[in-house]
Amino acid sequence: MPRLLAPLLLLLAPLAAPPAAAAPVPYSLDAACSRVAFEVAFGPDRISGTMPVAAADLALDFRDVSTSHVDVTLDAADATASFPFAAQAMKGPKVLDAGHFPAITFVSRSVTRTTEGARIEGLLTLRGVARPVTLDARIYRQTGTAEGDLSHLTLKLTGTVRRSDFGATGWADMVSDEVRLDILARVDRAG
Amino acid sequence: MAAGILFTLALGLYVARMEPGLSNLWLYGLHKTCGAMLLALALLRLGWHVGHPPPGPLPGPPAWAMTLARATHRALYALMLAVPLSGWAYASATGLDVLVFGGVRLPAIAPVSEAWEDALHLAHILLTRLMLALILLHVAGALRRALVERDGTLARMTTGRRG
Repeated sequence: MPRLLAPLLLLLAPLAAPPAAAAPVPYSLDAACSRVAFEVAFGPDRISGTMPVAAADLALDFRDVSTSHVDVTLDAADATASFPFAAQAMKGPKVLDAGHFPAITFVSRSVTRTTEGARIEGLLTLRGVARPVTLDARIYRQTGTAEGDLSHLTLKLTGTVRRSDFGATGWADMVSDEVRLDILARVDRAG
Repeated sequence: MAAGILFTLALGLYVARMEPGLSNLWLYGLHKTCGAMLLALALLRLGWHVGHPPPGPLPGPPAWAMTLARATHRALYALMLAVPLSGWAYASATGLDVLVFGGVRLPAIAPVSEAWEDALHLAHILLTRLMLALILLHVAGALRRALVERDGTLARMTTGRRG
């Protein structure tokens, strides 16, 4: 039995050893072709909107996803919503308080592989309040790129936050506590 | 003005209870537009009274009823100003633009804070309830004149003729 096992272990050894290339690779965000969208319930209807990305720092590792990290800053002051009242209410002191807290940040703390993509757990800070948030990530190859080409990718991130966790409780009688996030990020491998 | 006040009161009670959505958001604007117009009309009316005092009451009812009628009239005039002003101030305190006529922005007349918003909302509700009660009293007084005294006061109120 040990005699049989030894060659088998030798055979497997190169696979178990970490490959030399397994390091997170920096990617830059193509902000013009990316979109951070959100949606809340407003009575029987929905209010949707977007927030511009002020800065994004991401590094992806496809061999060992746990070493990937994401650090994104959104510009709350320039957020838009589907009608003017909603945008004004959202940026006002009772919700995002963009006058005092113009930046919304997300910093990943752990990235794990799932059957269909990755789960990104991180810390979302808005109104100066930091709370853990989980995003589901799907990664797609961009149209026009060859299979296996990781230089241009599209990331679709979805998740839900409860605005009351951050003290963004304004108009709670009209607008849902739950905010659905739908983020489409087009990224290019740096260098 | 009476019809406008009753309509705006009813609309206000309705929007306060409805489930807001995109389809009925315009009703808030309509309520604000009506309130702004009624405030302007109340000011015009009071201005008109300065140069053209309304006729005094016809004699007949007991002194307590005359005093009550005078107090009710004064309070109704005060509320014709206070109710729309408190609504305007409440809307200002929410921090949202106060839009009337579908896009005319009224200046904010109250500081933006939740404490002010809650207090002014309560003031708007209480003043409105008081106005509703006084309208009922005013109607009861007019009906008494019409059904008990039968002195033509109601006709004078509704047509403006001195009977």
